[in-house]
Amino acid sequence: METSTSNRNNALRKRRKSVRPGEKMVLWVSRVFIWCVIIVTLIPLWFVVIAALNPTNSYFSTSFWPTNVSFANFHKLFTETTFLTGLRVSAMVSVCVAIGQVLLTATGAFAFSKLRFWGRKYGLMTLLIIQMFPNFLAIAAIYAALSKLGLVDQIWAYIIVLLGGSAYQMWLMKGYFDSIPKELDEAALIDGASSWQRFWKIILPLSVPMLTVIIFFQLISSFDEYILAGTILQSPEKANLGVVMYGLISDNQGQEWGVFAAAALLTATPLAIVFGLLQKWISTGLTAGATKG
Amino acid sequence: MSLQFASKRKKTLKKPKAKTQWSAYGYLAPAIVTISLLSIAPIIYTIYIAFTNFNANHFLDYQFVGFDNFIKLFTPGSPLASVFLPTLLWTFLYAILATFINYGAGLFLAVVLNNKGMKESAIYRTLLIIPWAVPGLISMLIWKGLLNTSFGQINGLLHSLFGMDPIPWLDSPMWAHVSILLVSLWAGFPYMMSVCLGALQSVPTEQYEAASIDGATWFQKFRSITMASVWKISLPLLIPTFAFNFNNFNAVYLLTGGDPARTDNQFAGSTDILASAAYKMTLQFNRYDWAAAISIFLFALVAILSLINMKFTRAFEEVD
Repeated sequence: METSTSNRNNALRKRRKSVRPGEKMVLWVSRVFIWCVIIVTLIPLWFVVIAALNPTNSYFSTSFWPTNVSFANFHKLFTETTFLTGLRVSAMVSVCVAIGQVLLTATGAFAFSKLRFWGRKYGLMTLLIIQMFPNFLAIAAIYAALSKLGLVDQIWAYIIVLLGGSAYQMWLMKGYFDSIPKELDEAALIDGASSWQRFWKIILPLSVPMLTVIIFFQLISSFDEYILAGTILQSPEKANLGVVMYGLISDNQGQEWGVFAAAALLTATPLAIVFGLLQKWISTGLTAGATKG
Repeated sequence: MSLQFASKRKKTLKKPKAKTQWSAYGYLAPAIVTISLLSIAPIIYTIYIAFTNFNANHFLDYQFVGFDNFIKLFTPGSPLASVFLPTLLWTFLYAILATFINYGAGLFLAVVLNNKGMKESAIYRTLLIIPWAVPGLISMLIWKGLLNTSFGQINGLLHSLFGMDPIPWLDSPMWAHVSILLVSLWAGFPYMMSVCLGALQSVPTEQYEAASIDGATWFQKFRSITMASVWKISLPLLIPTFAFNFNNFNAVYLLTGGDPARTDNQFAGSTDILASAAYKMTLQFNRYDWAAAISIFLFALVAILSLINMKFTRAFEEVD
């Protein structure tokens, strides 16, 4: 018995030794492959940086390094385009939607997580199923209804339409509320706290990380919105960032490529950094459903 | 203590209704009201419009037309069907190809990055996730500029590296389809890669050790340990990804605008998917009736896919 295991170990050691050079080869081939993929993936973004810094606005620039670096495109972006207006509209909309969304979802999630009522078991699932239909699919109905009510081109109407999709955030938040230890909550219950006191004084303060994550999610997704903004907001001074940037690249046969690149750089960088900080939450949120089953 | 009490009560009363806390409905009200008004009502109104002839010609005097719009969708030769059927085909093709290409690329990169000897793989992972971090709207518009046939830097690069003639990336129907798939790959593989990498890293190392002791080859280990666990975690994500791509408005509309135009009809270009065709019908042509009928079709499809996925993953089931 003992000899057989030692034999096996010897054999294993031998094999490991013989495999080593091969493994090293695989490792280096993998590295070179990954480097190539990284270069191919990031070159387009590097081109945007070059274009933003290149004042001549020559579209067909083949250099890998910016020549004659200047901020002329940024200057033009701020003085000659509606970029700042779009930024203001998007910022206002996203802050309103984020705050509204958190208020709507926190109360709903509290009910689903901590209270007992008829419909608790299937209620959230029903809401999630309903919200699997992206609201832009009802674009004809939304546009027809708004134009009948005379609400087309109203920013607040746009904000309200965006407030509609809250079930997924509610599900995320309910999961977080569920993870708050029962003892904290029950102690308050025994002390005779009302449900509002439990919600406001215990659950919400403990959920600040999740609330922050949901607010940032919402900020990013409102900045990323084109289809409803393009439908509802029609006058140029109410165009949000997405509509403004679409105009920069589509109008004038793309003559404004350098200016567009500057706008893309300025908006994508902070949003990408926020996304990077939220990465942990995003991946757990997305796979939470999968690992459960 | 309270648990005991609760279970006792359950036995004696049996009716869970007795436990209802009415204040719960107060907490739910804001979310329920907004969802009903802003999600359910538009869906119902869409269904209603789909059964009328509500469009620019009949804005005030529209009538109920029954299943007319739906029949037209599937009647070859009708103007609506000549938009719908080719667009439907491309929508399916796009969603299937984009999902599987992205998944394949993400999985392959995850396996390569999961090499234990690659100490610096966290850096590579961070760099490769960047396309996912760029907001979709901005990255699609960036690609629209980069792929411009005469001025775009991609053609410039290909010319200076290989002396290639300009490729009509967005201007010829064939290349426009290829471009949409390539750009979707660029934007979509990081998500799949992260999911697969997470799955790979969750495999306990003891399993590999046990397999090596039993004399399993590299490929056997890869197939029965690595892939088994990766499948388990990533497969349930394929259906939602498919549903997402099926309605991936941004990837099509922002990149090509549905163009190049088709000669046989004005309503949809050759790269339009159903979602962008419905958008154009609403905004450019005010054909609310047709757009609504297409939307209903998309609703039904998303519903079927979601039901399949729920059965499959039991993701949103309440665990008591």
